[in-house]
Amino acid sequence: MSTTTEAAGALGRLGRTRVRVSPGVGGARCRVRTSVTGTDPTVPTVRPVLTHHDARSARLSLVPEGALLLAGDRIELDVTVDPGASLEIVEPGGTVAYDMRGQDASWHVDVRVAAGAALTWAGEPFVVAAGADVDRRTRVRFTEGARLAVRETLVLGRAHEPPGRVSLRTDVRSDVRRVLAEDLALAASTAPSLLGRARVMESVLLVLPEPLGDGPDEDRFDLAASGATLWRRLAGAAHEASTATAWQHARAAVLEAPLPGEER
Amino acid sequence: MSGPVHADLVLMLLADARLPVAGHTQSGGLEPGIRDGLGTQDVPAYVDVRLRTVTEVEAATAVLAGRLLRTGAPDAAWLDLEQAWEARTPSPALRDASRRQARALLRIAHRTWPGAPAWTALAALEHPSRAVALGALAGHLGLEGRAVAHLVGYDDVQTVCAAALKLLPLDPGSVVGWVVAALPAVEAMAARASCVLDVDDLPATTHPLIEVWAQAHAATTRRLFHA
Repeated sequence: MSTTTEAAGALGRLGRTRVRVSPGVGGARCRVRTSVTGTDPTVPTVRPVLTHHDARSARLSLVPEGALLLAGDRIELDVTVDPGASLEIVEPGGTVAYDMRGQDASWHVDVRVAAGAALTWAGEPFVVAAGADVDRRTRVRFTEGARLAVRETLVLGRAHEPPGRVSLRTDVRSDVRRVLAEDLALAASTAPSLLGRARVMESVLLVLPEPLGDGPDEDRFDLAASGATLWRRLAGAAHEASTATAWQHARAAVLEAPLPGEER
Repeated sequence: MSGPVHADLVLMLLADARLPVAGHTQSGGLEPGIRDGLGTQDVPAYVDVRLRTVTEVEAATAVLAGRLLRTGAPDAAWLDLEQAWEARTPSPALRDASRRQARALLRIAHRTWPGAPAWTALAALEHPSRAVALGALAGHLGLEGRAVAHLVGYDDVQTVCAAALKLLPLDPGSVVGWVVAALPAVEAMAARASCVLDVDDLPATTHPLIEVWAQAHAATTRRLFHA
């Protein structure tokens, strides 16, 4: 794990985290390469902390370093899982995008999962406080044969405040087809027309190489791409929006399946 | 058609509710919306948000289908466009409603314009969406992208407003007022949608609540409209 500091440049306050997991060779533990770079030492970043590590799989916790997410912050999270490897990402807590007083911030996630690789990412609530203006993007590229589950919870405003502004973009594709593309521009003025009375949107995306057998029916959207399922719940408050059952199912479907060449 | 016909006449034909394509079975999500609490006063805003989200996706998809037809694009391009629309339509109920409408439209179209190259192109798709089918038909009949986007936008506004008349205690006169008031938004949407040149530029402005409503509506037996 290396932490380097780049000179502040045209990028603004960029904090980039890279993670790459490859299977171990000859029974060795899998290889986990991480790097955290910031344009200056005060830039807040997200530090991957390895909490489990064996021949095939790794578990990382994404720990924020410094106050997140403030005006001018540019967070980039790049995650790659190579064939035959399995990665579980957890977050120790939610993230609050604070009042940016006319400025903005970004949170860009870029995920690559190879055929025969597995990834789960248990995102915690991302809260867009009043006055925040966030460009949040999630880009997932996978090769057919990959298994992945990603949870995202968007909360519009802390308790007793109107939402800030967030542009939520999701683009999920495999090497052969498009799976999910969504752009939601949410702000105090537009949120009621797009989400009704809901302030929380919880989504669980599951991609499997095979069609999903059983699985929770509630809040379930079977996507057109075979093996791709979205569970989505809109609710008034974070504790009401629970796709917990869907997440447990999705996580198990990804992590409990044998990787290629692995006997169970 | 045996002689040249002005595009205005084609547009009127396709926008006419008397065209037997089962348009009266659709409420554009209004019926489940009302069940979830939408009231009479909310309908104009609902029409407007559709034009900025799902209807813009539909219009841009139809515009691109017309473009594919004009350029003689290969099967793979049609499949990619259809999949791009699918990726923007997470609700299986909405995809199903769209495909049912496409089937009704194509049944009439095949009979009226047999052997059109558009049908060969659409054969690449097992069950084309209404957006792609309508775009291909409009393209075959020579409509430009802007006109196709107008058609999709106008039809959506009329669909929701006509359904409102059946679902809410309304005076037909006030509903016409809503349609007229929505026309500038149709125009603005069509201006955006007709600029889309490539499938990677296709808007992905989805509407989470409409998708949730569509799923709930498909599961109920107590309904006036299919979707």
